[in-house]
Amino acid sequence: MTERDGQPIDPGEARLLLHALVDGELDAASASALERRLATDAPLAAERARIVALRSAMRQLPRPEPSADLRRRVIAIGTDASARPRRSFDWRALAATALIASLVAGGGTYWGVSRVAPQDMAGDIASNHRRALIAPTPVDMASSDRHQVKPWLDAKIGLSPPADDFARDGFPLVGARIDVIGNLVAPTLVYRHNEHLISVVALPRAASPQPPAGPSGSSARGFSLVTWEDRAFTYWAISDLERAELDAFVRLFQARAAEKG
Amino acid sequence: MPHLADALAFARWLTGNAHDAEDVVQEACLRAYAGIGTYAGGSARAWLLAIVRNACHTWLAKNRGPMLVPLDEVTDADLLAAGSSGDDDAEAAMIARADAAEIEAAIAALPPPFREVLVLRDINGLGYREIADLISAPIGTVMSRLSRARTILIRQLGGRNDRA
Repeated sequence: MTERDGQPIDPGEARLLLHALVDGELDAASASALERRLATDAPLAAERARIVALRSAMRQLPRPEPSADLRRRVIAIGTDASARPRRSFDWRALAATALIASLVAGGGTYWGVSRVAPQDMAGDIASNHRRALIAPTPVDMASSDRHQVKPWLDAKIGLSPPADDFARDGFPLVGARIDVIGNLVAPTLVYRHNEHLISVVALPRAASPQPPAGPSGSSARGFSLVTWEDRAFTYWAISDLERAELDAFVRLFQARAAEKG
Repeated sequence: MPHLADALAFARWLTGNAHDAEDVVQEACLRAYAGIGTYAGGSARAWLLAIVRNACHTWLAKNRGPMLVPLDEVTDADLLAAGSSGDDDAEAAMIARADAAEIEAAIAALPPPFREVLVLRDINGLGYREIADLISAPIGTVMSRLSRARTILIRQLGGRNDRA
């Protein structure tokens, strides 16, 4: 195998470079020289076909999914004071918090800001709900059609939680607004029950503080607050409704989500 | 791919199973969290994978004994050249048809230094430069380990009928 234009003549070397060619790691000049050689060197071309076949076979291998348990353990690192860097207010603490969020959420420029302490979160949710009650309209976008609400939220902030209408059960969907909680931007759905409004805040699970196990309730600034989660989101429903009525609404919401699987 | 899943995919191939991989990834996340000050910019993913690698080595040393680097790794050009010898596409087709369990077993049987580079490249999708930085080795070593690993897999998966 003689070679013009500086291509190595050693077959072992050519095979080594073949991997770099397949991986797109060869500079243009070497790549074009190697490709010229492949056109006439059948054994080398067959080796390339094998490498390509192996690469695509490996890409199709199933990948382990982080278990819910691991996600919880990693999130707990961010909330465990003993694991926290010593000086708590320098940029490292902030970066570390952001890191944990991005580890769990991935692609986390949007959510990689910071997580919010649970008590602050309840307070923010209550403030947002109160402001919505006082404002001329409690929603930024009024519609009872999830085919309008979801795309609107998705276009605004890249998140689209389920937005089903429960008018038949007495909880019509009024629309949606964007809330700010801590330094997170959150999609909030608004439902009506008689003369009462319910705000449902949905945050991707990774950005939420400790995931609650099953629906749990409390009150925030005089409102009833119920929180629960599904696979993608942690939800907070807040309202001045009686607790029993709010619970009934949450059951509807969960039942619909369960139907969709 | 989210970083956590990425870290887990890497750890799964270093430890050998998904359960131990989760423990190692948790340990790596702890180290990453405590050692955020060592993050010097660049790819956060590569930085995390480097920490996962260290955590894996600690775990392996404790549970399996030290990871040995074969002495012949750089002088294997002859072996490579003599690798698969067919010049038709039958072997490539056979590799493409190999099932996941078969491929996984072949990867698991690779010597650890080869397996690590192969996984970083073909499972995690890192570039040669990133891998070289991560394992603190020259790019030539990365290329040689990668081609060696792939050649072993190709021979096993492509020639499996011959062996039977």
